[in-house]
Amino acid sequence: MRKSLTTLALVSTAALALAACGGGTSEGDATASSSGGASSAAGGGGTGDDCTLSDPVKVGAALSLTGAAGSYGTSQKKGLELAAEDLKAKKGVTYDLKIEDDATDPKQGITVFEGFVDNGTNVIIGPTLSNTAFQAQPIAQEGKTPVLAISNTATGITAQGDYIFRDSLTEAQVIPQTIAKAKEKYSLKKVVVMYSQDDAFTKSGFEVIEGALKKEGVENAKTLSFSKADTDFRALLTEAKGLNPDAIVVSGLIEAAIPLVTQARELGITAPIIGGNGFNNPRLMKDAGAAAEGVVVGAAWNSASSNEENTKFMADFKAKNGAGPDQFAAQAYTGMLLIDHAVRAKCSAERDDIKAGLGAIKDLKTPLGTISINKDRDAEHDAVVQVVKDGAFTVLK
Amino acid sequence: MLTQLLSPSTLVFIALGAIFAYSFYAVLVAGQLSLAQAGFAALAAFSAVVVAPKPADVGPWVTLAIALVVGMVVGAAAAFVLGLPTMRLRGVFLAIATLAFAEAVRILIINMEWTGGASGMRVPKILTPGVAWFLLALVAYWFWRQGPSRHGRALEAIREDELAARAMGIDVGRHRMLAFVTAGAVAGMYGVLWAYFVRLLAPEDFAFGTAIDGLVTAVAGGSTMFVGPLLGSAFLTLVPELQRSLGIEAGWVRPFLSSLLLLLVILFLPGGLASFIPRRTPKVTPPRDEADGIPARFERRQHPAAGETVIELAGLGKDYGGVHAVRDVTLTARSGEVLGLIGPNGAGKTTLVNIISGLIPSTTGTATVLGVQPGKTPVHKVAAAGVSRTFQHSKLFARLSVLDNVVVGAHLVSKPTLLRRLIWLPSARADERAALEHAMRCLERVGLADKARNQASALSYGDQRRLEIARALASDPSLLILDEPAAGMNHVEADSLSELIGSLAKEGLTILLIEHNVGMVMRTCDRVVVLNFGEVIAQGTPEEVAADPAVVEAYLGSADEEGAA
Amino acid sequence: MQQLLNGIFIGSIYALFAIGFTLVFGILDQLNLAHPAVFAVAAFVGIELVEVAGLSIWVALPIVLLVGALLGVLIEWVAFRPLRGRPDAHFAGLISSIALGGIFIALLQARYGPDTRRFPADSFPDERYTIAGAQVTLLQVAILVISIVLMVVLTLLVRRSRLGRGMRAIAENPTAATVLGINVSRIRTSTFALSSALGAVAGALFAMNVNSAQLGMGSAIELKGLAVIIVGGMGSLSGALVGGLALGLAEVFAVQYVGSSWRDMVAFGLLFLILLVRPQGLFGARRVREV
Repeated sequence: MRKSLTTLALVSTAALALAACGGGTSEGDATASSSGGASSAAGGGGTGDDCTLSDPVKVGAALSLTGAAGSYGTSQKKGLELAAEDLKAKKGVTYDLKIEDDATDPKQGITVFEGFVDNGTNVIIGPTLSNTAFQAQPIAQEGKTPVLAISNTATGITAQGDYIFRDSLTEAQVIPQTIAKAKEKYSLKKVVVMYSQDDAFTKSGFEVIEGALKKEGVENAKTLSFSKADTDFRALLTEAKGLNPDAIVVSGLIEAAIPLVTQARELGITAPIIGGNGFNNPRLMKDAGAAAEGVVVGAAWNSASSNEENTKFMADFKAKNGAGPDQFAAQAYTGMLLIDHAVRAKCSAERDDIKAGLGAIKDLKTPLGTISINKDRDAEHDAVVQVVKDGAFTVLK
Repeated sequence: MLTQLLSPSTLVFIALGAIFAYSFYAVLVAGQLSLAQAGFAALAAFSAVVVAPKPADVGPWVTLAIALVVGMVVGAAAAFVLGLPTMRLRGVFLAIATLAFAEAVRILIINMEWTGGASGMRVPKILTPGVAWFLLALVAYWFWRQGPSRHGRALEAIREDELAARAMGIDVGRHRMLAFVTAGAVAGMYGVLWAYFVRLLAPEDFAFGTAIDGLVTAVAGGSTMFVGPLLGSAFLTLVPELQRSLGIEAGWVRPFLSSLLLLLVILFLPGGLASFIPRRTPKVTPPRDEADGIPARFERRQHPAAGETVIELAGLGKDYGGVHAVRDVTLTARSGEVLGLIGPNGAGKTTLVNIISGLIPSTTGTATVLGVQPGKTPVHKVAAAGVSRTFQHSKLFARLSVLDNVVVGAHLVSKPTLLRRLIWLPSARADERAALEHAMRCLERVGLADKARNQASALSYGDQRRLEIARALASDPSLLILDEPAAGMNHVEADSLSELIGSLAKEGLTILLIEHNVGMVMRTCDRVVVLNFGEVIAQGTPEEVAADPAVVEAYLGSADEEGAA
Repeated sequence: MQQLLNGIFIGSIYALFAIGFTLVFGILDQLNLAHPAVFAVAAFVGIELVEVAGLSIWVALPIVLLVGALLGVLIEWVAFRPLRGRPDAHFAGLISSIALGGIFIALLQARYGPDTRRFPADSFPDERYTIAGAQVTLLQVAILVISIVLMVVLTLLVRRSRLGRGMRAIAENPTAATVLGINVSRIRTSTFALSSALGAVAGALFAMNVNSAQLGMGSAIELKGLAVIIVGGMGSLSGALVGGLALGLAEVFAVQYVGSSWRDMVAFGLLFLILLVRPQGLFGARRVREV
């Protein structure tokens, strides 16, 4: 017994030690400064591009790097890291970006947020999922620390408090125009709606879709729901095909989108497929191949946009990561730009100053387009209705 | 670093994780692998949140109190409802069925309107670390007091050997259901506390992963000692936080290390983390002189008067689809006599005895034992009528101590103590002590008193047989059935066993003895019944039977078949 | 008709996955919860073989089978062998296999990242057939055929071969088997290897069927696999086959007639029904109680 205990203790210590040593760059140590809300900020001079701050601005990101939402969080991480690099080129202000994993676990999400609030982080980014956001962001609100949500699209996120902002357009801001445009283009009278009912994001998307269809006077012949873990949709698609719809409207994540689209074409469904934010990912074309042609994707980010910020962002991202960015990366990257703008506005890293700065953002040029933060602390910029043509997203005309 | 590690929310999560693990502990203690707790928690949480008033109206503590009551009742009720149809399931079957229940609950919640579906319900945060730990302390207290109570021992006995537990008079069904309902109530508490802490009550937080986490916490912590769940929860909650503070890179490394550590704990710590804590064995005081065995505190059992019919079998038969294990057996046994049952191997002795003690039903004929019909009565009720037995293959409660084995045997005569233990009533302590002394006395009778603290599985084979006898005696039976008790004993031991049987018979006990040691049977028994191929071929005094040619033929073969001399 | 075929195809994959579970449970009385992780690993490895090594999917499959077998040996050696003889072997085995499964998934993420991976665009043959008005691809037919062939081979192996006899002996009475000179350790290892090999092929076929492999794919199918073996009967190979097909068909028709949101309930509904009405499953044998 004693022998096994010793072995256990030795092995565990060794394992932890090895991992700590080989743990790679952990984006700097979280130096525990004064507990409570005070954050460090030695003021500098100037505003905007002339602003200089002697201490780095501490930005804490709570993302899902592992677990069910792991692929989205990893995408966001890449966007943030690229932004941090680009911001280094701008003189005057340095950012200490610490990216933490919540493992798609509310317990860790809450603990990470608490840690950020307590160790003097100036501004928090995240978390990845809306449900985790409702559970963790109030901690930042109570701790008077500004939070910028970069992928939460549920209703009520910013209503949680005046320290909570977001740059991700909600479904309600994106879907109605998608449905309107599609109806116009494809003369939609009757559709079938499919959505994953066990995910808060796709469920709220579905609710918006229902409302939009009603408003446009398009009949919803049937609603078919699936689980977000599903990858075989043939049974549902066969059902849908039998109803002969003019289009299939889908509220789903990219993991579902790809097989769904592929299998639909396999089964001989020729009607257009219309998706939302979840479909806005270059992997749709890469992995569904020819089946992706003609898919309509209404989204917050127009990857085909020719605006300067976007083209540069896409090129840099591809060069650094080997593949093009998706909407998660774009919104994350833009988030850092917004924070940078807010910091420079009053040239201060104080939490309340960043809060004020974020709220005052107007007509800022970013890869997402020209963005303003409205009085509800939500982002406003033009959404886009895209269609896949020749293997790339183009704007639907 | 420690304060950073133990932030308020981490403290709450350790407490909540421990409470959830206790809901698994409640059934694991009884050896039941039930994994439905996530489902109970979900139902409890959503019901409570809907029914309870808002903190804004009545204040946080009233809200929490009402929510807890609602949640625990719902959890217990759900457990009861699930417990009924799954009563017959064991082991992995039970695990899968209960897991499926938990998943079904989750799907149900996603489909309901009033729960908000996948988006869940927003709930105000009112739980503080202090309250969470206070409630955890209450739960831990309950299980601490339950352990050494009669109920706790019964659960452990069921875990070790369910059939033997039944034979000692424990109503397994009732105890299982109680364990289930306890698990449901504790899981309900967890669900409610979770809801009022994380601000968003979403069905995905009660999914398959959560159910498994609870089990992992309980097993890693140790399911045989009441501090187990707390240790397990502290370990599992702190490992990610520890990794965070050590600067281990966020990403795949952390889940890898967590899984690795868990694997190491399971492989090298059989009792879980709780095995680091030495188990305190109770002090056993030498028994005071009591008149004849049963402590004055306990109720005396009714015994039949000398000469009354104790066993009455008429035309009893048992067949397994063509194989007649027992065929047309008619015999009686009277109070105070020692009846021997002998026959070649495969003669049906054990089957007959199993019928008498109620373990298997007969196919034909009738049996009346101490006023009950064993075939139609549950085993524990047959035991309650006064039947006690040992088994051909020792069925001891392996991981319990020798003393505890016998105390379980005294289940029928000792008094329930759990509720009184909760409020530290001195009468509970006195009853406990009386039970322990009674058990010691039984051990002394079989000569095992000096090994009282050993683990039952550590005894030698002969000692194990004697322990079974001590355990069977502890219930103050009217009919004692001994199934090959002298197997593996040497001459001296068999003789002292003979003496013991004789002295028990003098005290009025009826004894049914199956034995191969024919010399011992002849010395000890008043009458002997001989079985061969399931039929009675001879009955009578030992001398009569020994001289019976049919018996000789059965054992040795007939002279004609030996071939030419 | 299309629905019928959909049900059969998905059902054959459920069956192949479940057979791994039921093999280990029926013979060794252990529930191996690292099996879903093997399912996922095989899918990713299969994709890598096709994408990086440029092999055709038909060549990759046997390699995946071998990889699965190796994983099975590893699982037995690390998660189950050290626990033999311990009184809590059942519970502990559950947890240790869960932990080992977690290690596999973490390592998968280390190598492949958290994203979904897919086969390269031209990996699959393009032919389609029409059977009685329903569309079927060659790939789906191949999956069905492979599943059935593997299950038949396994059944023959268990019934006719020496290894199979040894396995059945151990299932009845491990102690007696040891006493009779059967190398129990080797048979245990072989059983795990076989079981994981089948689970691995199931994983690769599943990934081909939907052209995607995700880290979470094992968990998604795990509970369904458990339902199948209960419905079919623990330890019964034909039960796993029938149970899998039954589940596939039931799900598909539930979608059509009841509503898709309740589809997952079908597995549990069937499960509960069987447990209440016929606990040993459709084909399982009632274990006689030992006194």
